[in-house]
Amino acid sequence: MIQLQNVYKEYGGRPALVNINLSIGLGEFAFLVGPSGAGKSTLMRLLYREETPNRGTVMIGGINLTRLTNKQVPLLRRRLGIVFQDYKLLASKTVFENVAYILRALGVPENEVQRRVSSALCVVNLEDKSQDFPDELSGGEQQRVGIARAIVNGPPVLLADEPTGNLDPNTSLEIVQLLERISQRGTTVLISTHDQLIVNALRRRVISLSKGQIVSDVDSGLYELEAKS
Amino acid sequence: MRQLRILSRVFVETGIGLKRSGWSNWLVVSILAIALVIFGTILQFTMVLKEVVNSWGSQLEISAYLKDNCDPNKIAKVVSQIPDVQVVEIVPKDIAWQEMQTTFKVAAINNPLPNTLHIKVTSANSVEKVALRLKSISKIEHIRYPLKVARSINKFRQFLEIAGVVVTAALTFATLTVIGNTIHLVIQARQQEIEILSLMGVSPWYIKGPLILQGASYGMVASLAATLLILVMHFYVDPYVHSQLFAFMPFLPSDLNAFMLPTFIILLLLGVSVGASGGAWTSGKYIKI
Ligand SMILES: Nc1ncnc2c1ncn2[C@@H]1O[C@H](COP(=O)(O)OP(=O)(O)OP(=O)(O)O)[C@@H](O)[C@H]1O
Ligand SMILES: [Mg+2]
Repeated sequence: MIQLQNVYKEYGGRPALVNINLSIGLGEFAFLVGPSGAGKSTLMRLLYREETPNRGTVMIGGINLTRLTNKQVPLLRRRLGIVFQDYKLLASKTVFENVAYILRALGVPENEVQRRVSSALCVVNLEDKSQDFPDELSGGEQQRVGIARAIVNGPPVLLADEPTGNLDPNTSLEIVQLLERISQRGTTVLISTHDQLIVNALRRRVISLSKGQIVSDVDSGLYELEAKS
Repeated sequence: MRQLRILSRVFVETGIGLKRSGWSNWLVVSILAIALVIFGTILQFTMVLKEVVNSWGSQLEISAYLKDNCDPNKIAKVVSQIPDVQVVEIVPKDIAWQEMQTTFKVAAINNPLPNTLHIKVTSANSVEKVALRLKSISKIEHIRYPLKVARSINKFRQFLEIAGVVVTAALTFATLTVIGNTIHLVIQARQQEIEILSLMGVSPWYIKGPLILQGASYGMVASLAATLLILVMHFYVDPYVHSQLFAFMPFLPSDLNAFMLPTFIILLLLGVSVGASGGAWTSGKYIKI
């Protein structure tokens, strides 16, 4: 589903990602770990085409992102669910409107919008907060809204860049368990994090980045901090 | 159907954007309306003058004013010999003076008017030819024919048109700047939101469309307001034109309101296109997605 070949990315001459080769299959669940500055966010941004690599190819679901024109980028992003560390919710809109926004922008009929938003809010267990505004919610609830928004259009791939970065350990665990449940429905999920706790609790595939390079890639692995390894 | 639903959402988003802009909406509409009133007034002037030139300038009559020391009958005879002249009517100066004294209250002075010939020609093409022949008759002091006057009116109208274009260009630029600034403010306030929408895969047109429509709706409201203002101006100016100016300028169209509909349509088109292009220009400049 996700494939990177010989990807190289630099910022002003300083390499951020070096010779990345990576393949994540359909419906797979994987963590992308590494210390701060390792290049996790850079890799994520390549996947949702916020950046393009200097060399190499990035493919998602058979689409070559390096050949995508600017006009085609929205088409790609509609097929991705993206979850952010800072949630990126629309402050002026209710929970319901936030989740419904993309569907309405795509011209989905209103009864279908109602149905799909309700079901997405049901997955994240927030049906009773649908008329609240984001600033009336806790961090964990806001992130659940972010996840509902990411899955509402039924994307085959879900990308989450440090989704638990602003949350306490218990809430973090809830969020990744929620993401794991979503992956069980067939969605490919990639989570970047440097939160040892959640990685070790789930024991799923762990891809470790360090200084822009993949240093290990193990199934049902643990996140070992650099200092220990 | 899907396109229609998207379009209706774009309208909804436009409404939300307008609501958020608050008082600055009215600032933009006022400035745009003032610009359109100025443009509309010039436009109406040129349209009235064009009408004058067309209807009155095509009359087939030439007035020849005779020197005092000659017999009008003799000259009338000479004139009637000129090809293409149909009728020659003599207006003796005494009769003309009497007429003038009854229409206007003129002071009791000596009759300053010359004897006059009213000459009708057969076709519009021959007016100039006949006029040239008349000029060569030494007993004729001066000739006047509508076409000649129409020519000078036309020159004035052309000047007015050029002035209109210049004024409009300047006003358009000024209002574009004002509209651009307002929409820039909207974009700045929504910067984060726009970034989020773009990450969600919302198409750029869905994001820019409401901003362009916001500009267009300024143009629509402003052109309505401007048309209304011009109508009010007519209400006050027309009676004055009819009572005071008509005697001197009988060629003015009697219904000065006749040009309101074309004026409104032109103002609407101009207003909407200036507004929309202000929105398009600004959103193109500041929304890079
Ligand atoms: N827009 C940018 N301009 C210049 N350098 C950048 C930019 N984005 C990232 N970098 C650099 O690229 C490297 C990788 O950054 P990246 O944000 O991918 O790290 P990260 O693994 O996500 O770290 P963190 O855990 O702190 O989020 C860093 O050295 C960073 O300074
Ligand atoms: Mg990061």
